Amino acid sequence: MTALLLGALGLTLSLVVPNALAKARWPDRAPVAAVLLWQSITLSAVLSALGVVLAAPEEVTRAAGSSKPVTEAVLIGAMAVAALIILRLLISLAGVSRRSRARRARHRLLVDLLDRAEQRRELGPENLRVLDGPLPLAYCVPGREPRVVLSHGVLQVLDRPQIDAVLAHEQAHLRHRHEVVMESFTAFYRAVPRPLRSRKPLDAVHLLLEMISDDVARRVVGAEPLRCALEQLSDPVPLAEDVKTDPRGDARRRRLDRLDESHTPSVALNALAGVAAAGLLVLPTVILVLPWLDRALDAWPL
Amino acid sequence: MALGDLEREVMTQLWGAGEPLTVRQVHERLSRQRDLAYTTVMTVLDRLAKKGVVTQQKADRAYRYVPAQTREEMTASVMLDALTASDDQDAALAYFVGQLPPDALAAAIAAATKRK
Repeated sequence: MTALLLGALGLTLSLVVPNALAKARWPDRAPVAAVLLWQSITLSAVLSALGVVLAAPEEVTRAAGSSKPVTEAVLIGAMAVAALIILRLLISLAGVSRRSRARRARHRLLVDLLDRAEQRRELGPENLRVLDGPLPLAYCVPGREPRVVLSHGVLQVLDRPQIDAVLAHEQAHLRHRHEVVMESFTAFYRAVPRPLRSRKPLDAVHLLLEMISDDVARRVVGAEPLRCALEQLSDPVPLAEDVKTDPRGDARRRRLDRLDESHTPSVALNALAGVAAAGLLVLPTVILVLPWLDRALDAWPL
Repeated sequence: MALGDLEREVMTQLWGAGEPLTVRQVHERLSRQRDLAYTTVMTVLDRLAKKGVVTQQKADRAYRYVPAQTREEMTASVMLDALTASDDQDAALAYFVGQLPPDALAAAIAAATKRK
């Protein structure tokens, strides 16, 4: 029974809930709590899968009235499978962070060499780098020695308050270590077998992290410069006329909508989503796993 | 002066020269602005060569150094790297601007470099 319930929970959390949450608009008003909720959903789905692997064999052998040695062997096998799942997740995480680190290190080396230092002197931050080129581009390179990179094009199309907005946004990504959050979701995405895989959490969390940085930037410089910067940087690049509009124009619209005066963050939504996130992790354990563990420990081989 | 700044200035000299330079030539160019040890310049060029951003050419009895890519080429490849870092490839970088399709971006960068 425990295995069935955990299985149902796991499937709901990995197939049904992400679709609903990705469509929802309330996270725009409580992005921090929404990220926590996504993390909790993902972690809880993993725990459910582990629970199924551990509980199902034990429950089947017990129902069949197998002898003690058989039950013990089955339990050990189940634990081995659970260990494999955990191992796969860890290997995936290690791979993603190793590749990202290598790529960022190379990227950092190149932007340091290409930097037009004379163009950024009065802009402030030590870790800022300015690249040549009219293509308006602003991003950050996370890591132990982080960088914020602006193209010359950004300096040309944005005024000073707007540039400050962009810098505040990027520094927020770096200060809050958003890349670690993205890496963990990427690692999970890659570790999941293909038929069960979904990009929904990845895309949703990516957008939410942008919103969190937007909120920080808005607190520093106000909504208006940030909005102008976002609008101008998203303008179709005038260098190639047949450029298709941003495939995620929808996401940008959502970010712009939140910067309206009328769009206020909601304390209640934050609290509610936070409670839901905590509940998702704690309740299944208390309601399903603990009673099962109580029974299963009787058959514990060691 | 920080090593990073020195590396950048050496690259700027090499990019500006338009021809392979010896350690001595780089040293001369940089010494116009400040006092700098010859061996420091040699170390920096050696480091840059190890990182693969400059290539060493043996000519006569001296090594000459030349950038592996022009400044424009390197800028274009950095921007391409930044913009194609989809989450599918790994969450390497974070953006303010949204992504362009890689083809369109390559075209845009090519156009930008040509325009110069």
